[in-house]
Amino acid sequence: MSDLDDFKATYFDECSELLTELEEQFAAIEAGERDADRLNAVFRAIHSIKGGAGAFGFQALVGFAHAYETLLDYVRDGRIELVDDVVVLCIRANDIVADHVKAAQTGEPLPADYGMEEKERFDALARGERAGSDDEDEGGEPLDEFDIEFVPVMVNLDAEAPATTSDDAVEDTFDAPPMQVEPGHWEIRFTPHRALYARANDPLLLFRELAVLGEMHVRALVEEIPPLADFEPFAVYCSWEITLVSPTLTEEMIREVFEFVEGDCDIAIAQLGAGVPLDAAPIVAAPVAPVARAVAKEPEPADLLALADDEVASLLDFDTGPVAFAAEPEPAPVSVQDSFEEPPALSFAELAETIQPSPVAKPPAAVTPLKAATPAAAASEGEESSGGGRSVGVQSIRVDLDKVDRVVNMVGELVITQSMLTQQMDETLRARYTELVRGLEVLAQTTRGLQDSVMAIRAQPVKSVFSRMPRLVRELATKTNKKIKLETIGENTEIDKTVIEQLSDPLTHMVRNSADHGIESPEKRLARGKPETGTIRLSAEQAGGNILIIVEDDGGGINRERVLQVARDKGVVAPDVNPTDEQIDQLIFAPGFSTASEVSDLSGRGVGMDVVLSNIKKIGGSVHVRSWTGKGTRMTLRLPLTLAVLDVMLVKVGGSPYVVPLSSIVETIQCSRASFERVPSGGQVLQVRGEYVQVIDLAQRFEMVTDTDADNRFVVLCEAEGSAKVALIVDDIIGQQQVVIKSLEENFERVEGIAGGTILGDGNVALIVDVQGLKTTIVHKNAA
Amino acid sequence: MTTLRVLTVDDSRTILAMLHHTLSNAGFEVLQAEDGKQGLDVLKNETVDVVITDINMPVMDGIEFIKNVRATGNHQSLPILILTTETSQDKRDQGKAAGGTGWIVKPFDPEKLISVIHRVVH
Repeated sequence: MSDLDDFKATYFDECSELLTELEEQFAAIEAGERDADRLNAVFRAIHSIKGGAGAFGFQALVGFAHAYETLLDYVRDGRIELVDDVVVLCIRANDIVADHVKAAQTGEPLPADYGMEEKERFDALARGERAGSDDEDEGGEPLDEFDIEFVPVMVNLDAEAPATTSDDAVEDTFDAPPMQVEPGHWEIRFTPHRALYARANDPLLLFRELAVLGEMHVRALVEEIPPLADFEPFAVYCSWEITLVSPTLTEEMIREVFEFVEGDCDIAIAQLGAGVPLDAAPIVAAPVAPVARAVAKEPEPADLLALADDEVASLLDFDTGPVAFAAEPEPAPVSVQDSFEEPPALSFAELAETIQPSPVAKPPAAVTPLKAATPAAAASEGEESSGGGRSVGVQSIRVDLDKVDRVVNMVGELVITQSMLTQQMDETLRARYTELVRGLEVLAQTTRGLQDSVMAIRAQPVKSVFSRMPRLVRELATKTNKKIKLETIGENTEIDKTVIEQLSDPLTHMVRNSADHGIESPEKRLARGKPETGTIRLSAEQAGGNILIIVEDDGGGINRERVLQVARDKGVVAPDVNPTDEQIDQLIFAPGFSTASEVSDLSGRGVGMDVVLSNIKKIGGSVHVRSWTGKGTRMTLRLPLTLAVLDVMLVKVGGSPYVVPLSSIVETIQCSRASFERVPSGGQVLQVRGEYVQVIDLAQRFEMVTDTDADNRFVVLCEAEGSAKVALIVDDIIGQQQVVIKSLEENFERVEGIAGGTILGDGNVALIVDVQGLKTTIVHKNAA
Repeated sequence: MTTLRVLTVDDSRTILAMLHHTLSNAGFEVLQAEDGKQGLDVLKNETVDVVITDINMPVMDGIEFIKNVRATGNHQSLPILILTTETSQDKRDQGKAAGGTGWIVKPFDPEKLISVIHRVVH
C-alpha cells in the first residue's frame, strides 16, 4: 500500500466520523439549538473534509464542499440567517457531501451536475445577503471570494514603487534616468516594525534567503539605537539597506522573500542604476503606517535575558559599511559600545555574558557569513531542545482492526490453553502440587481479565448508530403528519464494533416501524387522551454478558386481531392453532409479514420485521417484542458483547464433537419422545406442536458412522433465518460452553454446513454447525 | 545537524498524517496535537523549533492558540506557521494579527512546505 493510499484510508475514516458528527449537530440544530458552537463544529467538519479532498485532488468534492463551507461561514457570522429552509438545505448538502465522499472512495464518479441545484441555492442565498448589504454593488458575485483586508502596504508599494519598466513612477522616484537602470541590480530598504519581532519573523532569516538569490550587500542603519538603559528588547531600532545583484533577479523573487513580513515592515524595492550610491537612492517608504516604534516600557532584568534572540542578533550583526555576505568572513569584532551615545547600563561584556548560555548566542562578530552561521545556530538550538521525552498531546491511538483481531485471537488461544491446563489437573495432581494449582487459578483469573480488556478495545459506543435516528424520526414524522419525539438513553454503551456495524439496518427498521405503525396520528392520540406528540425511546444498556437495545413507543400497541388475521391468511399460523398474546406479538417477525393496511413508502418496502430478526440472529442476538394495547410497544434486542466468543451447545455426532450456536437453539428433545413422520420424497419431518419441521441427521449429513441407538439420540430444534425451524439429530448432548471462533476458510477451506471451527478445552477441534447453511444446502439438494 | 522539531496542530488526522509523513521524511521530528489546547500542553513540556497550526479547530482554535503561545513562556520568537487555504486571506490576516509568523497554503506541496519552514526557522 502506498503512502497515499494510507492517507486516503485515514481520510475516508475521518470523513465517516465527520459525517456522523454533522448528523448529530444538525439533529440538535433542527431541534432549535442553533448556538455558535454547533455552527462552528459543522463548519469545521466540512472544512476538514474539503481540506483532505483538496490534498487528494477530489475536485468534485472540493467544489461542493467549498461552496457549502462558504455558506456555513456566512451562516456562522450571521450574514445568512439560519432559518428552517436553510437547515433543510444544509441537511441535504450533508447528504451530497457524503455521496461525494463515497464517490471519491469507490472511484465511481457522480453525474457532473450532481449537487448543482443545491450549489445554486447557496449562491442564491449569498446573493440575497449581498443585495441587502450596502457596500456591495454587484449581486452575482460568487461565494468563494473573500474580502481581502490585509493589503495596505502592498497596495501602496504597488502604486509607488518603481516597476522595472520605465514609466513615470520610476522618473519620479529616482534621480537616475531610466536608461541607467541596470537589470539585476536591486536595492531594498527594509525597516521592520515591532510586529515583525512579535511574530517571530527574523531579519537574519530574510537576509539568509536573500543571500541565496544573488550577491548581497547589507548595511545596517543603527542611528536609532538608544542607550542600553533605554533599550527595549522587542522594540525596533535597526533598519537595513540591501543591495542584491543577480542578472536573473526579478522583483517577484524579492517580494516572495518578504511574503510573510508584508505589513510588518516598511519595505521598498527598487531596481538601481549601476554605480549609484545607496545613500543617494531615495527610499520609498510605505506611507500607510508610521514606522512603529515601541512604546517604551521600563526594561526589566528579565527582558534583558530575552534579548538573547533575534534582537541581539540584529544588534550584533550591524556594521557601518556594506557587508558582502558572499565574501569571506571578517571576524573582526566591533565594539558595540561605540555605537551608543551614552554609556550603557550594562557593559557589552556583561551583556555578552548574559546571553552566552542562550541557545542562539552568536559570536559577536560584525560580519558573519550567513550560510555558515545558521546551521551552527540551528544546531546549538537543536541540542538544547532535544532533551526530554517526547510527549504527544493525543490521548488515543488508532490501531488497525486486523491487529486488534490478532490480539483477540491470541487471547482466545490463551483462554483455551488455560482451560486445557486446568482440566488436566486431576485430583492426584491437585493434591500433590498445591502451588501449581494456585498458580493456575491466578492464571485463569488473569486470562479472563485480559480477555475482557481485549474485548473492550473492540467496543464502541452505540452513539454512532443512535445518532442516525433523530433525523429518521423527523423525516418519518413529516411524511406521516405525526408528531414524534425521540429520546435516546445510554448512547455511550459500548458494543463490539462488528455488532455496531450490523446494528444499523435492524434498528432503522425498528424505529421506522414504531413511527409508522406504532405512534398514532395526533388526532387519534388526543382522542385517546394521550399527549399529541408521541414518544419513541431508544435505549441501550449492558445486562450481564449482553447488550440490550430497546425501542419503545407510546403508540397504539400491536393490533393482535389484525396480526392474527394476516398470519392466518398468509398461512403462517394454522387455522386450528390459538396462539397466546405474546406469541401473536412475535408473529410480526415472521417472514413476509406486514400489517400495514396499505403499503406505505416508509415501512412497507417489501420486507418486514423478519429482516430485523434475521439480521440480529446473524450477529448472535435475539429480538423480543411486548405490546400493551393502546399504550405502546417495546422491542428488545439482546446482543452479545462480542462476536469473537460464542455461546454454544457441545454435541457429539459419530464420536466427534460439534458445537451448535446457543442463540439458534429453540429446544432439545429426546428422540424417543419425538414424533417423526416420513414424507413421500423419502425424507423425515418432525411434528412439533402442530408444526412440521425439516429433519437433518447430522451423522448422515456429515457422513459419519454412528453406533448410538436411534432412541438414545437427541433432536436439537434450531431456528434458522426468518424463524424457519430445522431439527438436527445428534448422538449426544454434552453441555454448554463458550468457544472462540476460528475461521475454516483461513485455515482450511470452506465446508458447506460448517460455520467455522473451535478448539475445545481438551485440545480437540470441534466444528461449528452452520444451521442456516445446512438448511439451504438441503433445500438445494432437494431442488436438484 | 541536530534534528529540528516541529509541532503540528490540526484536528484533521489526514492533514496530521500527511504533515508527519512529509516532515519526518525531510528529517524533522514531528510532535502532534489535535487542537490548540493540546498544542499548548505540548509546548509546556517540550521545546520545538517551529509550530504549524490549523485555524479551524475544536476546543481552542488556531488564532487563540497562537495568541496564547505568544502570551506565555518564552515563545515570543517561536516561528508559527498557519495552515490556510487559497481563499482564506482573512484567516491568514487574523493569524498574523495574533502573532503568526507565516503561512502554508493547503493543500501543500511537500517541497514548498519544507522551504517555508526553512524560511522561518533559524
